[in-house]
Amino acid sequence: MRYLILTAVAIMGAAAQQTVAPTPEPAGSARGETWAGYNVVDSVETGYRLALRGGNIPQYRSSVNYGNGIRLLSSYFSMNSKEGHGRFFDEIVITTQGLGNDPYESASLRIQKNRIYRYDMSWRLNDYFNPGLTTAGAGGQHFLNTQYRLQDHDLTLFPDKAFKFFVGYTGSVQTGPAFSSTQLFNNAAPITPLFSDLERVRHEYRVGNELRVFGIRVNWMRGWDNFKEDTQSTLSGAVPGIVTPSTVLTSFQRNEPYHGNSPWWRVALFTERKLIAINGRFTYTSGQRGFVLDETAIGPGRSGSIQNQQVITFGDGRRPVATGNLNVTFLPGSKLTITNSTSVYNVRTSGNSYYTQFNNATQGVELLYFNYLGIRTISNDTDVNYQAVPWAGVFAGYQYSNRRIASDESITAFSVPSAVTAEQTNELNTGRAGLRLRPLKPLSILVSAEVGRANQPFTPIAERNYHALNGRVQYRTKSLTLAAGAESNYNFNSVVLSSFSSQSRKYFANGTWTPRSWLGFDAMYSRSHLYTIGGIAYFANSSLVQGESSLYFSNINSVVIGTRFSIRNHADLYFGYTRVEDTGDGRSTTTGAGIGSALPVFQAAQTFPMSFESPLARVSIPITKKLRFNAGYQYYGYREKFYAAQNFRANTGYSSVSWSF
Amino acid sequence: MSTFRNLFLALLGLVMVCSADDGYIGSNACRTCHPDVWSTFYKNPHYKSIASAKEPPERTGCESCHGPGKAHVEARGGKATIIAFSELSPERFLDNCLRCHSQTLSRANIRRSEHTLNGMACGSCHSIHKSKAPRALLAAQRQVDLCYGCHASVRAQFSMPFKHRVNEGFMTCTDCHNPHGSFSPTWRMGARPRMVDQALGNGEPCLKCHSEKRGPFVFEHAAVRVDGCESCHFPHGSTNSRLLRRPVVFTLCLECHNGAGNFGRQANGVLSQSPSHNMANPVYHNCTACHVRIHGSNSDAFFRR
Repeated sequence: MRYLILTAVAIMGAAAQQTVAPTPEPAGSARGETWAGYNVVDSVETGYRLALRGGNIPQYRSSVNYGNGIRLLSSYFSMNSKEGHGRFFDEIVITTQGLGNDPYESASLRIQKNRIYRYDMSWRLNDYFNPGLTTAGAGGQHFLNTQYRLQDHDLTLFPDKAFKFFVGYTGSVQTGPAFSSTQLFNNAAPITPLFSDLERVRHEYRVGNELRVFGIRVNWMRGWDNFKEDTQSTLSGAVPGIVTPSTVLTSFQRNEPYHGNSPWWRVALFTERKLIAINGRFTYTSGQRGFVLDETAIGPGRSGSIQNQQVITFGDGRRPVATGNLNVTFLPGSKLTITNSTSVYNVRTSGNSYYTQFNNATQGVELLYFNYLGIRTISNDTDVNYQAVPWAGVFAGYQYSNRRIASDESITAFSVPSAVTAEQTNELNTGRAGLRLRPLKPLSILVSAEVGRANQPFTPIAERNYHALNGRVQYRTKSLTLAAGAESNYNFNSVVLSSFSSQSRKYFANGTWTPRSWLGFDAMYSRSHLYTIGGIAYFANSSLVQGESSLYFSNINSVVIGTRFSIRNHADLYFGYTRVEDTGDGRSTTTGAGIGSALPVFQAAQTFPMSFESPLARVSIPITKKLRFNAGYQYYGYREKFYAAQNFRANTGYSSVSWSF
Repeated sequence: MSTFRNLFLALLGLVMVCSADDGYIGSNACRTCHPDVWSTFYKNPHYKSIASAKEPPERTGCESCHGPGKAHVEARGGKATIIAFSELSPERFLDNCLRCHSQTLSRANIRRSEHTLNGMACGSCHSIHKSKAPRALLAAQRQVDLCYGCHASVRAQFSMPFKHRVNEGFMTCTDCHNPHGSFSPTWRMGARPRMVDQALGNGEPCLKCHSEKRGPFVFEHAAVRVDGCESCHFPHGSTNSRLLRRPVVFTLCLECHNGAGNFGRQANGVLSQSPSHNMANPVYHNCTACHVRIHGSNSDAFFRR
């Protein structure tokens, strides 16, 4: 086991640095200083981040998104009571990253007093940018430029006692502009752009308690989850349709409030004795949402006649979810563990939608939809884990799952109801086995396999007849870790009209080497091969085309290398390089080899060779014991082989100072 | 100097042994020979048992994990006279930690987790005495570096141009995964994966943040509820925007919506394209330009509003 611990330390020495900032080397002493009975450690890094971007900026913002400006790149502060008897607290830990205007900001706080309370807080912000659909005819729909703000608060009272209380809150907010599309006046795809100002808010409050009764620990929690979406969509002025410009919106307004609650219960019991460990959990969530959609659109339709259309839809959705889990572990000896797990999942989603459409204020069409989708899954698995000798162990398992799906799709039009109901059951049997070998103390070898058979998968791409193989070799010493592995997943799902076959293979090799405390190397290579073929049917020029296939080839090679070294406490340097390249199927133009569907658009969609690379370099120079100067550079280059309009390049960098109080 | 040290140790050992109860001698005896561990141990969560001074000897300080220290002191050290975790098999390592840490809901499935079955124990990820992480005694400063040490192919996925922001520090692996094992998934067939944590209502963890896609909706995209988000998305990272499994939207949709029998809600085929669609026309190549509410809608059975 020693080498596992040591390896973890070695990994730490060659930590993967894939974004150039913040600087991982803190200012000040790692041991900190003593103040009023507390040990205090702190480090703050602030500086300027620079980004010079070229090419497709929306694509850059979608995948990288770093900009210019002054940032509080990172900070760390901790206070620990040296005797464990602080007056108000025994530990405070505060961390921040990217505050100021980085696209990814976070802050966390832990404060606790031993045996009395523990409070954890995290806050995060993500500047989310999605350039939308940029291919022909889409006009950038689904463009998003929003901010996600998430926060979590958890307070535990008497955390080290048998009787403890939990109080928590989780909140998230998404706000910002979005650009989508709407389809009005007829169904011949006269798509019109639609601007919205997103406003989504989620609050979850929870309270719970844990206690011990007759040696069994009982943990229960009650939560209230509230979700509100009050996005409004509007267009002013005349906006022609993207596909059929003769369709023009001269006035449009849509309000669609969507509110609801999901109160929940969770009760869990555990106990672990010498020969047996048992735990069980039951959860129930009662989800419900109410909604209204009120939409008014005015303008000439496809034929040129003025349309005045109002759609009102209202109703509600309900989704009660119940789950139960029971895990029993038998520990008959020091070498053998047998675990049996049973789980039950039951969800019933149903809802009413009253749809009313008025055209030219003369006629109304009213429809009532009711939908029900029920899923009940029962699964049971047994795993046997046997360590035969210190250098060899085996595990094997069997799982049976039974999933029943019940469906009811009803519609009442002009007071005439009609319904389609259905029920189906899928059974899955899987077997798995694995072998662990440790012929030498630093060397471990793992081999495992799984085979599964399902009789009624829900979609053509779901697993029906599949097998997965996994192998891994690791060599770990104090300063060196070498690992290599291979994984393969094959799934075959055939039906009368078509078939779906997926082959996925992954290979990897990685290593870290820390020959000296001041020198570390880190390298990783991964190859991911994906080949799928699926039967398709589609309409082209009003004719149904069947019996063709959609193919997709992806061969992704990924390389990450990095080296970190220190020059006698005068400077810490890091150089790294990351490259991801999908070589596709080797073709030089979008035209395929003619296999699969003959339609050119399908041939062109079979493979998308591209590359994404990012070299980086960073230097951190200690000026004094409590002050450091840092600077770094990172390049991002994205290139598609066939569609140069998506390409971007960016030279980013930063300079900063880190200091300790 | 060494004579003086040996004499001191002998005296210390004698005092401790005389006062020992069932071989427990207290943590003060340990600090003499292990000052490097002791000097920062007040930052360790396990120090709480010492600070409280109310726990029984077998649950206090060093001996709560390493066992009675009497024989170890009498022998003046040695790994054979005490529970030395560096010498333990993964199974025994796990058993030792679970004596206290099994009493936590998040570790309820550790015995059946992939990590345990693959021979990993607590010390593979946690460094009890030399952790540099602010929380959880992790063996690496950043959680993601720890995971990348073994999961190289996942590291490759997070290096792709479109990915969840793990490398950037916005997310961590444990936002979605429970490294100690999770309850059976509620999506697909409840079989795999075993290390993915679950959101409210025991849905996929994606719904923790993407709460607007949770629903319930009157018109559910049934594949999302039955088989989960991974039907269409690669959750870690992808060479395709929006983490899609295919670079072009219509190829993704048509793989299921091909009318092939035996699938879908009625098990008579997933609804195929409408005859009004014309794949020879580029207008119809971006399915979600019209079917904008593809994750679920309240107003339209075809997800158009």
